[in-house]
Amino acid sequence: MVDVSSSTASLATPESPPARRWTAKNRFSLGGTAIWAVLFLLIVAPVGCFLILAVSPHVFQQGPQWFTLTFIRQAFEGITGRGIFNSLWVSTLVSFLAVSTATTLAWLVHRTNIGARRLWSVSMWLLLLMPTWMMTLGWSDLLQPFGAAHAMGINTRWLYGEFFGPLGIIIVLTSSALPFAYFIVSAGLQGLGPEFEDAARIHGAGRTRTFATVLPIIAPALLSAIAISFAETMSDFGVAFTLGYHAHFPLATYTLFSAISNFPANFSVAAVIAAILILSTVPPIALQSVVMRRSKSYAVLSGRTRAPRRREFGKRSRYLVSAGVGLVIFIALGVPIVGALVGSFVKNLGDDSGGGVHLTLSYYAQVIHPSIVNNSLGSPLLLSNQLGLVVASLTGVMAIILARRLVATHGGWSQRITDTFLLGSVAVPGVVLGVGYIFFYNLSFITHHVVDIYKTLPLLMLGLMASALPGQTRFMAGPVSQLQPSLSEAARVHGANRFRTWRTTNMPLMSRVLVWGWLLTFTKTISELAISQILYPPSQEPASVTIQSYLANFQSGTGTAMTVLTLVEMFGVIALALGIYRLVTPEGWRRTGWSVVD
Amino acid sequence: MQTTHHTINAFRLRFATVLAAVTVASMVLLTGQAHASSNPGFVLYSAQGYDHAAVAAFNATNPGFTVTLNDNSTGPLLEQIQAEGNNPKWGVLWVDGATAFAQLDNEGKLEKNSVPNVSFNSLGKANVPADRSFTPTGLTVTGALCYNSAKITASQLPNTWAQLLSSKYAGQLGMNDPSQSGPTFPLIAGVMDQAGRYKSGSTAKSVSAGEKFFSSLRKNGLLVSSTNGPTLGAMEQGSINMAIVQSSACYGDELNGSFPSIRVKYLNYSIALPSVIGIDGRQPTIVRADAKKFVDWVMSPAGQKVMQTGDPQGDSLFWPVLNNENPANKIIPPLSTTNAITISPYLWGPLEPMVNAWFDKTIVQI
Amino acid sequence: MRDSQMPQPVGVVIERLRKEFGEKVALNDVDLTIEPGSFVVLLGPSGSGKTTLLRCVAGIERPSRGVITINDVCVAGPRTFVQPEKRQTAMVFQDYALWPHLTVRKNVAFPLASSTRLKEQKNQRVDDLLERVGIAHLASRYPNELSGGEQQRVALARALAADVGLILFDEPLSNLDADRREQLRIEIATLTREAGATAIYITHDQSEAFALADRVGVLNHGSLVQFDTPENIYRHPTNAFVTRFTGVAGECPVVAVKSSDDDHFDVWLPFAPSHPFPALGVNCREGDSSLHFFVRASGVLLNAPGGDKGVCAEVIDVAFNGRGYEHVVKVDDQMTLTKVFSNRRFERNANVKVSFDPSFCFVMAVPGRLS
Repeated sequence: MVDVSSSTASLATPESPPARRWTAKNRFSLGGTAIWAVLFLLIVAPVGCFLILAVSPHVFQQGPQWFTLTFIRQAFEGITGRGIFNSLWVSTLVSFLAVSTATTLAWLVHRTNIGARRLWSVSMWLLLLMPTWMMTLGWSDLLQPFGAAHAMGINTRWLYGEFFGPLGIIIVLTSSALPFAYFIVSAGLQGLGPEFEDAARIHGAGRTRTFATVLPIIAPALLSAIAISFAETMSDFGVAFTLGYHAHFPLATYTLFSAISNFPANFSVAAVIAAILILSTVPPIALQSVVMRRSKSYAVLSGRTRAPRRREFGKRSRYLVSAGVGLVIFIALGVPIVGALVGSFVKNLGDDSGGGVHLTLSYYAQVIHPSIVNNSLGSPLLLSNQLGLVVASLTGVMAIILARRLVATHGGWSQRITDTFLLGSVAVPGVVLGVGYIFFYNLSFITHHVVDIYKTLPLLMLGLMASALPGQTRFMAGPVSQLQPSLSEAARVHGANRFRTWRTTNMPLMSRVLVWGWLLTFTKTISELAISQILYPPSQEPASVTIQSYLANFQSGTGTAMTVLTLVEMFGVIALALGIYRLVTPEGWRRTGWSVVD
Repeated sequence: MQTTHHTINAFRLRFATVLAAVTVASMVLLTGQAHASSNPGFVLYSAQGYDHAAVAAFNATNPGFTVTLNDNSTGPLLEQIQAEGNNPKWGVLWVDGATAFAQLDNEGKLEKNSVPNVSFNSLGKANVPADRSFTPTGLTVTGALCYNSAKITASQLPNTWAQLLSSKYAGQLGMNDPSQSGPTFPLIAGVMDQAGRYKSGSTAKSVSAGEKFFSSLRKNGLLVSSTNGPTLGAMEQGSINMAIVQSSACYGDELNGSFPSIRVKYLNYSIALPSVIGIDGRQPTIVRADAKKFVDWVMSPAGQKVMQTGDPQGDSLFWPVLNNENPANKIIPPLSTTNAITISPYLWGPLEPMVNAWFDKTIVQI
Repeated sequence: MRDSQMPQPVGVVIERLRKEFGEKVALNDVDLTIEPGSFVVLLGPSGSGKTTLLRCVAGIERPSRGVITINDVCVAGPRTFVQPEKRQTAMVFQDYALWPHLTVRKNVAFPLASSTRLKEQKNQRVDDLLERVGIAHLASRYPNELSGGEQQRVALARALAADVGLILFDEPLSNLDADRREQLRIEIATLTREAGATAIYITHDQSEAFALADRVGVLNHGSLVQFDTPENIYRHPTNAFVTRFTGVAGECPVVAVKSSDDDHFDVWLPFAPSHPFPALGVNCREGDSSLHFFVRASGVLLNAPGGDKGVCAEVIDVAFNGRGYEHVVKVDDQMTLTKVFSNRRFERNANVKVSFDPSFCFVMAVPGRLS
């Protein structure tokens, strides 16, 4: 009859103004300034202080030159050059592997009827919370000659040599990146309605072809997963330092550490390497932006979203596929845990004395009743928990504010800058952040006229917050972007002020995200090593540092026992937090919104 | 129904409040650590195993100020010192090895003439620098030959460094990586010193002689691991039977039972590795005076006793640098049996980055 | 202020309202006065600015310029901006906007939280509303357990619970099935008027607008093109856009016109060069080459071939609509007529004769671009 304009209507509304948030312009920019001020103090200033040494060592009395390009040249030569190259290709490979595996897993868990779905989802969480140095510890304990595998009667000699090489590096790094990718892809799948698959199947596509046809619809999620896997892998230190070293396979983070570990340290070369790590995240973000510009919308999660039907496998296929998934997860998560557990219970694991396998509780006894009082695990673990509590809470508040901002400016250049900044921050190795904190917060100007917190717990807390904030923000951005804006608008129109709106609509829907984000930072804080080691105040040593000193000094039995106990305690806290959540929250909160396990 | 609902809500509210209070309390607890005093003392940066005991004992003598202990591994300590630049927070540094101190002295950061007036033995004297800017507090030795007595007997062991190159020992020897393990560079420097028969002047000849030696060792199957942990672990697994490491590591493992069959032998020479203490020369006068008091105490009989008892299976296993003093444990043989030589940290220290890089590239082949 | 038993209907005055999103102008100096108690429908295609206008009135969008007055109180102006929660309005959203973690009862009770009524009174009111809207049996369910129609009823009940003088509707029926739509439209019309509130309702569906409205405002590209009763808009559209948007059976470029009296013209069309059609002129001048002829569906009469009344045409399509038949009839290449009603069925490809009722024919200038 008459015209209909050619706007590309999204699912929810045929006509929607470009920016769906209403706020006073002035208020927004004041809030924005405050946020960037905090980010400056937390991340930009310390990292910037470190990076500037790449070209200007004299700024922090690290060399005579005010400006030079020598170190840039140096960084690309020799072992550091090899390290950069290796890191780039390994991270690229790992990110693709992680995302492919994660997508398949996510699809199987959320869209089919494979068995033990809850278990796989929970395993992903455990994998997320486990640091790489714990994973390599477990693998080493398992595979080393006369290691745990040997203790269990399995010959792994052939695998040991292979594992301590690029293969092992890729396995552990992929396992580590897997959960990030899994959760991002899962979130993307949640917004993918069943109609797309139905359409494909009706028109003759089998399972695989359906999968392949529908997958591009969640391209933004896939690319986001690739970007974050890439950044996390580039900045990983645990694997680089242990497996990488043993495999004679230098990675950029290892060469960065080497540059620092001489005295005098070569901070300038380290700064160049750090700059490269950060810059390497720009291409993935650019790629992500390009794809997102072409695909229109994040699907909106609302009360109307129905759960998609699950693909039914035949009985036999079901067992096979479930077993396959179980195997993958066992390799990623189970193996290191078993290795670590056995390492803590077997006397002198790795000892070729031929005396057979002796189980022992002596390592645990050492931990609980240490002969050397100074090195007990008790007070370090308590300190780590306190740190975790405070850091997770503060970071949670900041992350949700930042995530909302990130989502609110959807598509604009401001969002892209924030997104790049956050991803780049993920790529900053902890040691760079730690040393940068010393540079910045030990400046005379700062200590005399602003605040003197160098060598205090608040500084360590800031450092840990800075380390956790980018990851947690990105983690929350997905679910926040899926919040239906009209829910808050409805509350406002019907008489609720901002606070009541947040309390009654946003917070309940975000409550699970908030809790899991909190737990993520909590566990990350407890297991964080690099920043903790360089910033902890006198006589206040966190647990991760204690554990490392045992592991490095050939007391791996005790060190492993400490690791296991810390892990157990961490998971205990998680269970406690979830229990409290269940107890404290109304039923309606748990029915809706973003969900951890299906 | 309504009242139960009420009660549940009230409970939830209370619970949430308690939780919030706990968080806030933790924050207060963690941050409220300030304490003011007229003489605040200084911060001791130390990597020594007995430092907790030493600081506690010293503070207990009521010196009029407090020593705050920043205990960490040597690597992070030195990173902190370097990053602190011209705004140092450390008053005293106490670590194994003198090369870091030589570097600091060259940068003009150490307090000169801070060495206490005590009776050093010959090796002690040899490790006191000309400008008396740092003090050796004890001695261990690197380049000791630890071996697995269950796999190789004393009679089968080599007696000299040169004999290590023999095919008899192919693939049986291990050592640490100098870029990861602090005490290893002095070992390499000592080997270079001896292999090139260094007397004076340029070190170039000695360096290349040492490089040649290690290359030959590598051809003979030398296994390099990052630190003591993996090196001794390799010995335990049977990949190697001997390792050239720091003496205290071997004695420690023998004592604490983690490696009961480990024993130590000294070849024709080993390299003295002093534990060294030095004062930051840029601190205010009162702080430097306090620091001097602490150093004096460390070198006094009381301090030396604490050093020997504070870490009985670790760093306490050292040889004294003072006359009329014996090692803490019978397991430690007389110093003369170690054939220990002293190398100048001022001479060899500056070469560390270059040598370490060469070692990683050529020997470790990373 | 929210607890009077019967809310006073409020008037809304909008003056020179302008809203820009960067380069894009969503509202272009709109002036509109809404009488208290009236049911106003804003009609327009996507991108016409109707949603923006509604959101500005609600307070969830801040205008770039202009003044909005609700009940003689300025809520948006050069130095004023009243927050949405203080504007005493209620809104029914296109996507229902029900809080998924609250039961139906809690959703409906939400606006009453700030009321000073006693708890029993509040509960009673919620019960009454649930009953009135026909969803009392769903009170303890959660939104995702309800169908679309049920959810929209809950949203309606919630808006009514607010007890306010102004209710806003953002295309509430767009996401519903056809049969539900009709039902709910009637509920909305009835309940809103029962409540005595002023209503601003936006839609892109012309028939919905005409069925509901006391007055219709037609928007196009951010400008208010015509604001009048449905009858006047239907009978006296002000330009080609309004004509087209409010239901045209067919349209055809004009060969020539000649004025016959004040507003009426005789129009020669390409397929009937010797037989002029009388039509109402809008912005019509003789000699203007951009003139088009428009005829409403209700002005097209369908007859069997033979007889000399009307022009020859061919039936392209026929559809039974319960009461009779709607045909698509092709007069010639330049003119195809849709929604041509007849009690009698003419088959596809049949030859027929069509004639036009002059009171539903218009001739008007059409600007260069399609508007």
